[in-house]
Amino acid sequence: MMRWMLGMLLGVFTTLLAQVPNQEVVLSASAGSRVGVAFPAPQVAGLDAGLVNRELRDVVVSDLDDAGPFSVITKSLPASTEPPAYPAWVQTGTDWLLVCRVSAQAASEMEVLLRVVDVKSGKPIFNKRYTGKAAVMRRVAHTIADDLTARLTGEKGVATSRIVFVRQLAPGVKEIFQVDRDGANLHQITHHRSLSLSPTIAADGRIAYVTYKGGAPEIWGQVKAGGPDVKIYPRGDSPAGHCFAPAWSPDGRRLALVQGDRRGNSDIVVFDLGSGRVRRLTDSNCINTEPSWNPAGTQIAFTSDREGSPQVYLMEDDGSNVRRLTREGNYNASPAWSPNGSMIAYVSRFEGKFDLFVYKLGEGKSYQITTGVASSESPSWSSDERQIVFSSGSLGGMRIYTTDLSGNTVRKLTEFAGCQSPKWTGTR
Amino acid sequence: MRTVRTIIPFAVLLTLGVGVACKKPAPAPAPEPEAPKVQAPAPAAAVDDMAAKRAAEEAAKRQAEEAARKAEEAKLAAYRKAAADVLQDINFAYDKSDVREVDKPKLQAIADFMKAYPQAKVQIEGHCDERGTVEYNLALGERRAHTAQAYLVTLGTGEARLPFISYGKERPKVQGMDEESWLINRRCEFKLQ
Repeated sequence: MMRWMLGMLLGVFTTLLAQVPNQEVVLSASAGSRVGVAFPAPQVAGLDAGLVNRELRDVVVSDLDDAGPFSVITKSLPASTEPPAYPAWVQTGTDWLLVCRVSAQAASEMEVLLRVVDVKSGKPIFNKRYTGKAAVMRRVAHTIADDLTARLTGEKGVATSRIVFVRQLAPGVKEIFQVDRDGANLHQITHHRSLSLSPTIAADGRIAYVTYKGGAPEIWGQVKAGGPDVKIYPRGDSPAGHCFAPAWSPDGRRLALVQGDRRGNSDIVVFDLGSGRVRRLTDSNCINTEPSWNPAGTQIAFTSDREGSPQVYLMEDDGSNVRRLTREGNYNASPAWSPNGSMIAYVSRFEGKFDLFVYKLGEGKSYQITTGVASSESPSWSSDERQIVFSSGSLGGMRIYTTDLSGNTVRKLTEFAGCQSPKWTGTR
Repeated sequence: MRTVRTIIPFAVLLTLGVGVACKKPAPAPAPEPEAPKVQAPAPAAAVDDMAAKRAAEEAAKRQAEEAARKAEEAKLAAYRKAAADVLQDINFAYDKSDVREVDKPKLQAIADFMKAYPQAKVQIEGHCDERGTVEYNLALGERRAHTAQAYLVTLGTGEARLPFISYGKERPKVQGMDEESWLINRRCEFKLQ
């Protein structure tokens, strides 16, 4: 349903031509050995072949390269994609051969026919027809990459995902932007000409964020998917106080947020959008902030200085059973619960700069991800848990990066500086 | 069509005429300037006397108004100057929100100003340096702003006249990655409302 709605929104319609009946998962993502894929230049009719190579083929190849379970074969490819040439493809290390035809009758509408052949067995394993406007060719490419990842692993890929983040446009003016996972398609979401901060995206794509447009910081965002941005909190009957750090619950019905009180303390409250009920989860003479839900929506990780320095804590969603998670270091913050619930990413400060860490709940141990000279902040997980997006840099020079969990593959997503608070989202 | 063509220039002229008439500033209400003409003619000297008297009254009134306006302006300027003199930033130690001894005289001066100008309302802005997470610093800015407010309340200013707000590390005063810049950025600003 979600995928279908997304497709509609983007004007991309995919139709199944001939689904191969055998749809079992070919390989587990954790199996280690990678599947060699080769994608020779598509046959093109009615469109610029260079454009198709650049915006479709190259994008699919780059997505598959980033996806993890694939190894893209690019060297000494045979000229023919016909069956007699299959053994020659096997020689190159190819497992899957992507045979693609792209055509356009009208200037705007294009058709992509994709056939994937397992060259070892000589059997087709995937066959699908994609249609859409030529202008959204990259979107079709990302959809193809996610389909192939799903065909291989049984899990949805992240090629179609996006990153929402805050960008400074002028001193004191910050707006919310989004960009495709591969850094293309930059798009401005808010136009408040004020300070807008801390975006959170619900599973159905609804955004919420902090904005100072009315003077004091309030939570604004979408109450309905695709609806206009409206003031969400505080409402007329809510307790007064400044609002920060909103976080949608996994079901999108509740919003955890931080409310400042008259004594300068900050507490985490949960606002139920349906009933309008507000529940305060923390009540202490200190700072409690940065709430992050577990995927079941039953627990919240947060940062508190209740024991003197900022540390990461966990609690139930009614505020009970508070326990401290981080033990080492005197500044641990920005917890981000992983999508399957087994890990919590956070930042830890050492010698004035932050690095990313991942705490594995099963092991009760932390692993350091980044060891940069710059400060790395605001981790947020990809839906497949293979990557983390974060901001990194120095004052005014923060950019958005992604990293795998080893910290070895760090990629810069934005060339421009003044970026913060990235959120990885599957749906916007 | 012909009718329309002939009407348009007239309409334009008419509109222009009306427009010009409307743009003229309304004349200051003169004290019945037509009155002497309709009454029985008075001796020329008497008319002159009356006119002179009226003119003198007018001038005096204008002078008084001008003086009052100037006095008001001077008062406002004095108020703004007094505000600018006393509404100085106070700064904080790293990750701290206590008022430093060195800043207490600044807060005393602000409290004195608030006493001298009972109508004054001042917003306290809490700010942080760049070292720390966005959200934690927003909370820390709240705490710093509240500390300044609480201190001013002990010096006799009502809480309602001192609303506070936090900007965390979102609006640094100076760009710089050294102790000096960080100290300048860890601050409360006081803004006249």
